[in-house]
Amino acid sequence: MTEDEIRKEQAIIERSKKDPQAFGELYEKHFDRIFNYILRQTDNDELTGDLCSQTFVNALNNLGKYEFRGFPFSAWLYKIAGNEVNKHYRKNKGKKIFSIEELKVRELVEQTTDTWDEELINRVIRYMNELPTDMIQVLELRFFEDKDFKEIAFILDMTESGAKMRTYRALDKLRTNFNLKVKYDG
Amino acid sequence: MGKHEIRLRRQRMAARGSDRFRNYSAVMKQHGEGKRIKLITRIFTFIFLIIALILVFVVVSRWEKKQTGSEQKTSQIEIVQTAS
Repeated sequence: MTEDEIRKEQAIIERSKKDPQAFGELYEKHFDRIFNYILRQTDNDELTGDLCSQTFVNALNNLGKYEFRGFPFSAWLYKIAGNEVNKHYRKNKGKKIFSIEELKVRELVEQTTDTWDEELINRVIRYMNELPTDMIQVLELRFFEDKDFKEIAFILDMTESGAKMRTYRALDKLRTNFNLKVKYDG
Repeated sequence: MGKHEIRLRRQRMAARGSDRFRNYSAVMKQHGEGKRIKLITRIFTFIFLIIALILVFVVVSRWEKKQTGSEQKTSQIEIVQTAS
């Protein structure tokens, strides 16, 4: 996001604090990303629709408290969405779901060939099932949402070094266990 | 086993479409209702606080009245006793 885009977004936020109708522009801009982010953690369209709309209602209700901290506005929305998803799982005592696109897994392990080894992918999924949930959350934001570590730390309420450590540990295991080349950028 | 389940999705996210859930007027309506409930709660809290303050004031003033009344009675008894 360029500085100009951030400035424009801040202007809309300031307008929205006085006139909630102006928030519609931000809703339209971020709806798809937030919807997909929640969908990846629920794998249920109807539930995602509800949680997504609750995310934007909460954002609108608390817009007065929002202040710019060097992150794009979407980071704040991701944080609210994550809280809504966690609240849902706490309330229903269910197992958290991470629905991951096959293509993204391919990108993660840098296997770009068309012949995709089914057995390998099943092993990667089994391995990811064994990882701690907070590690999966960091991996999801880093590789499936393309967030940088600073933003991940803000969204998940952890330190930047904590986010980096979790990512590198998970990727190290992935490399050694599967003898794979993985996307490894900081 | 972790407290989560990984599911593999074969098709891309965008293909599923989120458009049928996109409804800003519903968000605005929910926001408006929330605001109204907040306002009503604030008014009720304010009224409750005022009533509580009035009650405290009444109880304290009655207690003070009672105290001064009993003090007057004891001093009158003392006067009568010293006179006799």
